Amino acid sequence: MKKKSRVLALVLAAVVALTACGGQGGKGGDKSGELKDLYTFEVAQREMENVFILNTEMANDLNVLCNTQEGLLETDPKGQLAPAVAEKWETTDGGLTWTFNLRKGVKWVDVKGNEKADCTAQDWLTGLEWVMNSWKNEAKNTSMPTALIKGAGDYYNYTKDLKKEEAMALNADKGSKFQEMVGIEAPDDYTLVYHCTDNAPYFATVATSACLYPLSQALIDELGGTDKVRSANNEKLWYNGPYTLTSYIQGNEKILTKNKSYWDKDAKLFNTVTIKITEDTMAAYKLYETGELDHADLDESTVRKIADDKDNEFHDQLVEKLPRKYSYQMHWNYDKRNEDGSSDKNWNTAVANEAFRQSIYWGLDLTKYWSRTNYVNPLHCENVAYTMKGLLYTSDGTEYTKLVTDKIGLPESDGKSPRRYDKEKALAYKKQAMEELKAKGVTFPIEIDYYIIGGSQVAQDGATVLAETFAETLGDDYVKLKVDTYVSSNTKEVIEPRLQSFTINGWGADYGDPQNYLGQETYGEDGAYYSNNYSNINDAKDKELIATYKEFTKMVNKANKITDDMDKRYDAYAEAEAFMLNHALTVPANLEVALQLTHVNDYTKTNAMYGICNYKYKNWTTSAEAYTAEQYEKFAEEANK
Amino acid sequence: MFKYTIKRLLQSLVTVLVVATIVFLLMRMLPTDYYFSEDQLMKLTEAQKQEQLAAAGLLDPIPEQLVRFYGQILRFDFGESRRIQSGVAVIEVIGSKFTISMKNGCIALVISLIVGVLLGILQTRHKDRLLDHIGTGYTIFVNAVPSLVSYSLVLVFGSKVLGLPSIYSSRRPEVSSILPIVCLALASIASYALWTRRYMVDELNKDYIKLARIKGMSSKTIMVKHVFKNAFVPLAQYIPASFLYTIGGSLLVERFFSVPGMGPLLTDSIIRYDVNVVQTLAIIYAALGIIGVFLGDILMMLLDPRIKLTGRGGTR
Repeated sequence: MKKKSRVLALVLAAVVALTACGGQGGKGGDKSGELKDLYTFEVAQREMENVFILNTEMANDLNVLCNTQEGLLETDPKGQLAPAVAEKWETTDGGLTWTFNLRKGVKWVDVKGNEKADCTAQDWLTGLEWVMNSWKNEAKNTSMPTALIKGAGDYYNYTKDLKKEEAMALNADKGSKFQEMVGIEAPDDYTLVYHCTDNAPYFATVATSACLYPLSQALIDELGGTDKVRSANNEKLWYNGPYTLTSYIQGNEKILTKNKSYWDKDAKLFNTVTIKITEDTMAAYKLYETGELDHADLDESTVRKIADDKDNEFHDQLVEKLPRKYSYQMHWNYDKRNEDGSSDKNWNTAVANEAFRQSIYWGLDLTKYWSRTNYVNPLHCENVAYTMKGLLYTSDGTEYTKLVTDKIGLPESDGKSPRRYDKEKALAYKKQAMEELKAKGVTFPIEIDYYIIGGSQVAQDGATVLAETFAETLGDDYVKLKVDTYVSSNTKEVIEPRLQSFTINGWGADYGDPQNYLGQETYGEDGAYYSNNYSNINDAKDKELIATYKEFTKMVNKANKITDDMDKRYDAYAEAEAFMLNHALTVPANLEVALQLTHVNDYTKTNAMYGICNYKYKNWTTSAEAYTAEQYEKFAEEANK
Repeated sequence: MFKYTIKRLLQSLVTVLVVATIVFLLMRMLPTDYYFSEDQLMKLTEAQKQEQLAAAGLLDPIPEQLVRFYGQILRFDFGESRRIQSGVAVIEVIGSKFTISMKNGCIALVISLIVGVLLGILQTRHKDRLLDHIGTGYTIFVNAVPSLVSYSLVLVFGSKVLGLPSIYSSRRPEVSSILPIVCLALASIASYALWTRRYMVDELNKDYIKLARIKGMSSKTIMVKHVFKNAFVPLAQYIPASFLYTIGGSLLVERFFSVPGMGPLLTDSIIRYDVNVVQTLAIIYAALGIIGVFLGDILMMLLDPRIKLTGRGGTR
């Protein structure tokens, strides 16, 4: 027996020793106390699907690929444009023509960091040709170039009519059909000129999006032709960004390794960044606990557990993330249908009534709803505008949404109650709406259909809180939120058959201009995403509502015409946005300001409300010790100075 | 025997083909909208969707697609993944995962066979004594408690007490595979122990064992030469299938420890409507099942010459 015990002890000791030898985990700081290697995570549902940047529009992919590919411009921690491959950029005609001067010495390297070619202006032509060639890129990333670059849409249609082999054989060389048709040119290796369809004073911000990323023809040739590009894996691709993707094990982990040929020699980079895939945020938290991750997002119950227990080891380390770039709105459905396809007249009549919309706009105290995201400071999730806070600043540094809230006349936050919530106003509107709607034959309580995915306890809890919020202020005699579920596709099962009364949806900007937000809500325009897909305003029948939308559309288009004075432009957009919110055409719902545990100072990360660079692991300040809430408060103070 | 093998092989091929056809037709019965992500559904125009579907050959008549599909199977060309790893050949996507699942699964199977059968033998030898009760308690625990709870216990013990990595790491595959392998083996150990004990106890009560005892044969010889040998035959039938099933990986364990194996691939590909991956996996799983049963029969026959699979004397 003694012998057996010894053997068992030896085996256990060997296992422990073996484990200790591995030394994995991200707490290995250098002399400055910063992390040399970063260990981060992504949940399995958001695993990347594509390693070729031009062929994807998904944030899951772009959060990784913005590290391996470098565009013309990037964004800094303040959300401002910063040089990347382009050293300088300018427009001299109000945004009709844009010139980018590229830096010399930017290299394409292979996965091992071996230099393969120079990165030149021609690579941007090749990249755009790839994007706009309907056979090469399956219509991905085409919307912005089509709208903004002269001839890009025509080229897409041209390639669409060709046979596959003919289209695949096209390129962007001198004398090509692409150069003949599309408004992009490379006068020399380091100058790139774009010709826009109309004045686009914000075009430079588009240069941070995947649609304007480069592709080397030499890579296409090395891979063996155009049909081999999409199937190339991380080991075959070329890189010009701060890292190369040295390992991609689907469903497990990705490793980014510092690119020694990266142009920005002064940049602070990690030696490696490991992105582990975890089943959910709870699993990530467990890894953080054991020191295997350098930051962890937290679900609601974990946050409560940590925040409510002063003795919890992480109690003082609960810090707030910066807002994600999505501005969440309640989007009404003005042409709601019943399950049988008939019009839901009761709802459609109600939502067309301004007093009804206003009663909800002023009457929802969403504090409990926000506390599900941020239990410690729920009011930090309050959203009072349509456009995302921090997207733009006027020349005197005023943040754009401040212009909007000033025009609406919203009070400043007192830190205790939501800025918009006004019970008296809401009840007055409720009374008015009930009188007006009863006269039109609307029956009460008005049923509000709200859809969530089936089987998700998180979604169910959120919906329950929302239903309680509606009932508390507005009363069961007036409205009743009915929570319905869909099985797998919200788009197919709910949005397309128009079953929802409203949807809460977040919009993150593609480029840095209010047009990218307000242009989604205009009346009778093809490109208006929310009008065409969610609010269905173009099929609404109420004349007063339509007139309000037409007025709003006129204001947006008027603002879009101002291209020579950006302050005036933003002011005109703010006027339109205030008009929209004053008529409660949508209801701002929330911002995502969640809590986390981290070894990274978020205030040093790229933080832009547009483009793809927010997950670029460049110039991050980190600490071998986890940051505390106190430290984060200081960072916030400094950032807000 | 030879005739039987050929006949079974042909039957197996037909079955795999039927399964492949059914899966193919089921996938084609789905609305084509499911080929697009939520984002694409919103952003692409109807014309753009049709173009993508046409480019993927999904608008061709079904018989034409089916013939093309059979041709692809014969050439071992299973197409490209559309969503799991966009543009990458399905065989490549599956290939990397296959190796990991099979490696972990085989180690777990060997461990569970050795430990489980040994535990079963010890339980039989010490029937109704402490060791037997411990073994039975373990079996009941593993079967009664939800798998995720027992995996969590292994995880907590493994990571907090032994300091083992709590998820799989490609940089330390050996060490980070310990906990997944233990979890994979947990249930099988209980199963092998349970059945070994049961078959052995059954054998022990048979007359020929009593006779052997009367004749003075030693207890050890009886256990090894007669009891275990006869009790192992019904168990052996399932071993080839178990080996082959390791290729399929374990959905729960691989998800729990982020092991990049085959386990979660089928559900992931179904959720993402990655048709080519689903079809290929269905064919692989069908083939594994059929071959497993076939090899099980052969093995049982080899272990016990009294069993005949053909002719009038066949016992099955």
